[in-house]
Amino acid sequence: MSLIKQLWIAIVAITFVALGGSLAVGTLTARQYLEQQLNIKNQDNASVMATALTSQLLNDPDPVNLELQITAQFDVGHYRAIRLTAPDGAVIVDLRSDPRIDEVPEWFVRLTAIREQPGVAHVTDKWQQFGTLALESHTGYVYAALWHSIGQLLLWFLVTVAAAGCIGSLLLSRVTAPLRTLVNHAQAIGERRFIVTPEPGAAELKVVVRAMNALSERVRQMLADEAQRLEHLRRQVQEDALTGLLERRQFLNALAARLADPDAPARGALLILRICRLNEVNRDLGRTGADQLLRALARTLEGDPDAVAGRLNGSDFALLAPPAADIEPWARATAARLHDVAGRHADAAPLALPVAAVLYGQDDTVANILARLDTALAEAELEGGRALRIDTLGETAAPRTQEQWRDILTAALAENGFHLGTTPVRALQGKNRLIHNEAPVDLLAAGVTIKSGDFLPWAARFGLTGRLGLAAIRAALERIHAGDKPVALTISALAFQDGHFVTELIALLRASPRLARRLWLEVPEDGIARDPGAFHAFCLAIKPLASKLGIKHAGPRFSALGDLHDLGLDYIKIDASLLHDIDGNEGNQSFVRSLAMLAHALGLTVIAEGIDRPEQQETLVDLGFDAIRDQGSEFLHDS
Amino acid sequence: MATQAHRPSARSLPCSLALRAGWLFCFVAISCLCVAGPANAHTPDPMAKLASKQYGEAAAATVRAWRAMIEETRALPDHIKLRHANDFINGRIRFESDLAVWRQADYWATPLELFGKQAGDCEDFAITKYVTLRAQGIPAEKLRLVYVHARIGAGNPGQAHHMVLSYYETPAAEPLILDSLVGEILPAGRRSDLFPIFSFNHEGPRAREAARSSADATARLSRWRGVLARMRGEGLDLS
Repeated sequence: MSLIKQLWIAIVAITFVALGGSLAVGTLTARQYLEQQLNIKNQDNASVMATALTSQLLNDPDPVNLELQITAQFDVGHYRAIRLTAPDGAVIVDLRSDPRIDEVPEWFVRLTAIREQPGVAHVTDKWQQFGTLALESHTGYVYAALWHSIGQLLLWFLVTVAAAGCIGSLLLSRVTAPLRTLVNHAQAIGERRFIVTPEPGAAELKVVVRAMNALSERVRQMLADEAQRLEHLRRQVQEDALTGLLERRQFLNALAARLADPDAPARGALLILRICRLNEVNRDLGRTGADQLLRALARTLEGDPDAVAGRLNGSDFALLAPPAADIEPWARATAARLHDVAGRHADAAPLALPVAAVLYGQDDTVANILARLDTALAEAELEGGRALRIDTLGETAAPRTQEQWRDILTAALAENGFHLGTTPVRALQGKNRLIHNEAPVDLLAAGVTIKSGDFLPWAARFGLTGRLGLAAIRAALERIHAGDKPVALTISALAFQDGHFVTELIALLRASPRLARRLWLEVPEDGIARDPGAFHAFCLAIKPLASKLGIKHAGPRFSALGDLHDLGLDYIKIDASLLHDIDGNEGNQSFVRSLAMLAHALGLTVIAEGIDRPEQQETLVDLGFDAIRDQGSEFLHDS
Repeated sequence: MATQAHRPSARSLPCSLALRAGWLFCFVAISCLCVAGPANAHTPDPMAKLASKQYGEAAAATVRAWRAMIEETRALPDHIKLRHANDFINGRIRFESDLAVWRQADYWATPLELFGKQAGDCEDFAITKYVTLRAQGIPAEKLRLVYVHARIGAGNPGQAHHMVLSYYETPAAEPLILDSLVGEILPAGRRSDLFPIFSFNHEGPRAREAARSSADATARLSRWRGVLARMRGEGLDLS
């Protein structure tokens, strides 16, 4: 039983004992008082009447008058009985009234039973004894008085109980308010939310809260330090020292991860820029000038946060197009920007900067994409100068227009034209228990399946992200309802930044708490990095609803996530780009191991988003992973 | 004679609230005066001991003599008991007003108080005689304390409220009157100077209860019940 409930019971019990006791004592006192008054009245009235009768006998010895006087007193007074008995025992006058007591229930009369003593006095006829007068008053009024006084007492009793209840609940809420905060704090820590609460006034509680706050602060500090260290490590192992772009291996890992990502767009574009004859450039511009040129080109490539830039080798830069980019205009604009920058740095020496771009599909492999890119680049190089060559895979179909996208999305929303995929996530150890099924959302339009990576940018453009998200959540809940297996759904940054979406989501989850418990909501890391505050608010809003919360594609921008210690996250999915080739990549191993340790310290489940060879599972276990997304039978191979 | 004094107590027989309140104060004062505790059962005569303690040896001697007289006459016929009791009390107690003895307008004394002060007025005499006769074994039904209207002295126009004790041989008999002012016990018929107004004894549940226990607070509110209760406290049990 809760402490508050026990306190309540104590208050109620004390109130009832105190007031019930006072009611009983009050009743007994009133009864005794009334009894005493009644008996005094009896005696005094008997004496008065006997005196009157004696003096009447002195003046007028007519017994008829005597009787008349007694009757008159009996009739106007409040008597139950008046009896005058001669010295020899003969009854001279005997008057009795109805002993019934109205307006008071029978049981009450029996319960209180007033002991009435008759008043007795002597009547004399001159010196002769005439008789003994005994009279009893009617007890009805005594019982009535008692009955009413108890009624009044009861009324006060109730009023007092109500007042005590009000005061008690006020008092309790004052006393227990800090206690409630404390309980919430403890609960939060239990849910891995290392929050800090203000210290309460009560000394005993203050100690506890201070200790819990210190714990939270330590966790926060540890997380901040670790994040910084991780970022440092990541730079060391993944980035090119000069430009800060991903080095070749990591860039290709990112490409492979994107190819394997079920959420990614079906089509993507990769662009490559080559600085021909870098030795001559070095010579012409000097080492410093050449470096400045390289760094300026790198900054240009990094200009789009959704694109992934890398330096493949000394003279080759690569750029992975942001989702939903239309290859031709995107490649042209990018090439123009690059050529512009190069022109500004090296206008003295005519710089050969061939650019090639290829369109790839998800069934392509890294190797054949690179091969096609090489071909296209060779053609551009051949062309010389600042040529641009675009390999569109021979795909001639014009991309969908804005109007077409709008129609597709509105139709899908109207007809619920979604398909939730199923990618199981299983525990690495034990019997490969199913953790949840990841459900990538596909859109069905006129028999064609469109991947979320393709339609989400358009949905964002039309402001439909929230509605699409809610439709997906409804579909996921339905699936949980049907299959009873946990389902993981991706919430895009645009969705959790949308207040209306969050409100509706809370309503949905609250409406079916049993299903909500099996729903895992995951947010991509880059989305969080873009707006950590909104993610923070989103977690705090969703956490009480028992759905699981996680970060997907985690790793590359982990240090930009802000405070995670007080969010109560449940799991983290580490990005496939960090895991490709993991058994041979010691740099990534140490980064991933640190990340997994940190996540475990926060109590998170660590999930791998993909590997490229089944034997790498061993490595994952060594690195501390708890689970892995099912790779199916197909594994992708790096070149 | 003290009885000639105007006596408010007798006049207040019908319940007058104001006077009863006055009585209450009187009795509170008296309760303070009478610090006598309950009698010690081991001593032969607790009442004598109390008398010695409160009023000195003379009072104790009176109490012992009184006890002796009661014991001696217990087996004798009623009229002898009456005479002894009447003579003992009339002979040893001076008639004085309550104002002189108790510095109060009206005070009903117990036998112990009467023997202690060796003085009292008409109702003090009557009460002690009543107690004496009861102790001698005369049943309460035969005795009455009587308020009388007394015509005092020939040619004296003054009238006085007075109290005497009457004895009824049988319920219907003419009573014998034991008076504090007249030494002789006379039948009522020969006391043409007295007119009975109201008579009482300690029959009836209220008075009996007062004689049984001194704990009832309301006993103090009635002079008669008050004196019975105080007697009880001094070791005289009439019940």
